[in-house]
Amino acid sequence: MLIFVQRLGRLVFVFFVVTFVTFFLLDQAPGDPAERFAGLNATPEVVEGIRANLGLNGSLLERYTRWLGNAVRFDFGDSIVTRGFSSWDLIRESLPKTLELMVLAEIMAIGMAVPLALASARRPGGFIDKAASSTAFGLLALPAFVLGIYMSFVFGVKLGWFPTIVDNLPGLNDDPLNNLRQMFLPSLTLALNLVAVYLRLLRSDLIETLQEDYVMLAQARGLSERRIMWRHVLRPSSLNFTTAVGLNIAGLIGGAFIIEVLFAINGMGRLVIQSVILEDFNVVAAVVAILTVAYVMMNFLVDVLYSILDPRIRHGAR
Amino acid sequence: MLVSTRRHTLAILVSGALLAAACSGSDSADSPNATEAPATAAEADPDSSEPADTSDTAAQSTEPDEPAPLEDADQLTSEGEGNADLASLEPVAGGEITFGLTNDGTGFDTTGAIAPGSIRVITALNDSLVGLDANANWQPNLAESLTPNDDFTSWTITMRQGLLFHDGEPVDGEAVRANLQAFKDSPIVGFAMAQITTITAVDELSVRLDLSAPWASLPYGLVGQPGWMVSPSTIGTNETFTGTGPFMLESWTPGDGARVVRNPNYWRADEGLPYLDAINFKFLVDLTVKRQAFEAGDVQGYISPGDEDIVDFLEDDETDVWIGTAGANEYLWLLNTTAPPFDDLRVRQAMAHAIDKQFIIDTFRSGLTIPANGPLNPSDRWYTENNYPQFDPAAAQALVDEYEAEVGPIEFELSIEPNASVIEVAEVMMSFLTDVGIDGKIKEIGQGQSALTAIQDDFQAFSWFQFGSPDPDGEYPFFHSSGGFLNWTNLVSADIDAGLDAGRQNIDEAARKAGYAQFLQALGDEVPMIWVDHLNGVEAVVTLPELHGIGTPGLLPDGSASLAMTNGNFFAWPGVWIEQ
Repeated sequence: MLIFVQRLGRLVFVFFVVTFVTFFLLDQAPGDPAERFAGLNATPEVVEGIRANLGLNGSLLERYTRWLGNAVRFDFGDSIVTRGFSSWDLIRESLPKTLELMVLAEIMAIGMAVPLALASARRPGGFIDKAASSTAFGLLALPAFVLGIYMSFVFGVKLGWFPTIVDNLPGLNDDPLNNLRQMFLPSLTLALNLVAVYLRLLRSDLIETLQEDYVMLAQARGLSERRIMWRHVLRPSSLNFTTAVGLNIAGLIGGAFIIEVLFAINGMGRLVIQSVILEDFNVVAAVVAILTVAYVMMNFLVDVLYSILDPRIRHGAR
Repeated sequence: MLVSTRRHTLAILVSGALLAAACSGSDSADSPNATEAPATAAEADPDSSEPADTSDTAAQSTEPDEPAPLEDADQLTSEGEGNADLASLEPVAGGEITFGLTNDGTGFDTTGAIAPGSIRVITALNDSLVGLDANANWQPNLAESLTPNDDFTSWTITMRQGLLFHDGEPVDGEAVRANLQAFKDSPIVGFAMAQITTITAVDELSVRLDLSAPWASLPYGLVGQPGWMVSPSTIGTNETFTGTGPFMLESWTPGDGARVVRNPNYWRADEGLPYLDAINFKFLVDLTVKRQAFEAGDVQGYISPGDEDIVDFLEDDETDVWIGTAGANEYLWLLNTTAPPFDDLRVRQAMAHAIDKQFIIDTFRSGLTIPANGPLNPSDRWYTENNYPQFDPAAAQALVDEYEAEVGPIEFELSIEPNASVIEVAEVMMSFLTDVGIDGKIKEIGQGQSALTAIQDDFQAFSWFQFGSPDPDGEYPFFHSSGGFLNWTNLVSADIDAGLDAGRQNIDEAARKAGYAQFLQALGDEVPMIWVDHLNGVEAVVTLPELHGIGTPGLLPDGSASLAMTNGNFFAWPGVWIEQ
């Protein structure tokens, strides 16, 4: 319990540091968002009024604490560029699409990587291992934008099985078939890049675990190979794999920009890049806060998963 | 005039800034009758809602020296759909399409700077007070009539009976007054209507505009943004557009696109308009993505952002391409003449001398465009030649040497929106400048932020697309030095002012032409802009053959054909239909 509280405290600290540094950097950026928002010929009084409305008046610390207080209520201020929309409006529009993309991609990647890694580790140097390794290296060498265009061309243009762009995406509850059909190609493209990493990582850890004495003991006791692999080898071999999955999940929330452009998904990656380019500071600050929370939470979950996967960690043996 | 072809094509349709599009129209390349202002005050019929026709005079004066590339229909329509084929097809009501846009929108505030992406959507949501016929003559559209007084110092706009905004509010004289007043009061765009002194709702359906000086071509100004009417309670709102057009805004997602649905109360519904049930405007920033989506049938049409499509799909029978030959934009660089180094004429002249426009055209436009020396196309009847500096590296080098000996090295930043095909062109232009010792750097700005950045003078040089007004008076605010924020380059030139004023205030055509000659000459001498090319022939919309009407002329309320697809502002969305 103490460890849990310690980690939680550490995570809160990280959140404060990251958001404050972001706030500081945005504060140092050239230009006055209030003047920009006010437009031309605005009187100083109008600009000051807008500055107050945008929460830009007062010292840096005052503004940060005010922003923090509002952020807790998901009030991140208005978008300076897209007038009429709040920062949270824009995030609320983008975040679900990115989360769905990320979850589907992870499911696909894990679904492909784990069986392939197990098969590869069982017969290192065998046909499956060689084929999987070669494919993994190939996928690693293939940038997402090339892979995405290729997937879109083959499965969208030539075969016509899936749409090449995400357009008017229905909710997963409203029309799951249409939703999944639209999200299939972008998710698969993202997954194929991930699967290469996961496969390599898990395979090497599995091979290492297979050398452990307790595995040989299990073999000597006559347990089936399948049971040994799934029940006794996979779990302790999953620490690095879990770390990679956790970090990727957090990273993909804001880092799937290329995939989002290739498949015209109005996701967080596009929102981040657009906001930075447009100097839409309120949106940038809001997105950074969301991403920080995501990173922090994922790290926390990974830590928790560690102790579940490996009892030695739970009991402080390592 | 439009050209159709069953060949896949491409073009650039990047439009520049707010009122560029708002005021754009035909260069009259194919419309020798395009003259609106009465030839003389004596010939003017102030009681008429339509301008006097001086077509004979105009016809003689508008023969271009050489046909503009691709403006000859035969070059592209041998296998094309063509208007004749269209006439034999019966429009079908229903269906919806997805239409690809190159630029994202930033909102719909009609009193502010509107990004090109927003303007494309507004074309489906809006009917302007004034329309353009096939010859680019202004015609009443939403308004029933526009009537000047004897000396063109006052205009009365009378609206049609029974018009409704999308929210059910009446489009009456007070609503028109409120819209025009809000536009005029806007610090960002109001300068375009600065000559209007008072706007008065005369009766339920009429509004009178009183002017500080004669303005014979005022109706042209109401074709674009100033003539867009929105429900009074929504004037100045950015997130919605409650207009009068054939479609109503159902949703807009910044960064993604907009969905518009049929307006059941459209004022021309008794003509069966509009045909489509809905249009999904989809922002597709990447050309490859756009083309793949089109080939897969996920979008039924898109605005083509370059000339690659024209070249690549010339032999493709499965695609229609609509090329706007009238009122095309120009590609140019704005130079901020109040900031170093462009406050020195020698630097501006050196840049003009250094850049080989024909190389740009051959390399990036597949030779389809024509070099520009100013905002008017050589085929425009108001065009006259000027002394704009032509490609001459030696002359450029001499000017650079002279400047550097006095002041020092020439360095500048070019502001540009993140559009890869435009940046490519800019980089090549930079290399020409490097050859003569001018050191330029590219500075990317936000998508759709050109107008606002330029208005705030936050630039040295600016990569820009604009102009192509149906009447040169439409360019007035962008060049006149009398204090408007829209005078992008901040140049103060008595000759430019005098020329533009003569064009605006005179009714006599010869006097107007003399005024515009003076304007063009001064523009060539002062070099506030680095002109590259007139984009006639590469502004295109690519569509499936099953999608009809997007590039063909629509019908104005009086039954005459309207000018279609000029600069993206006159898509005839009411008449667009798709085979079921």
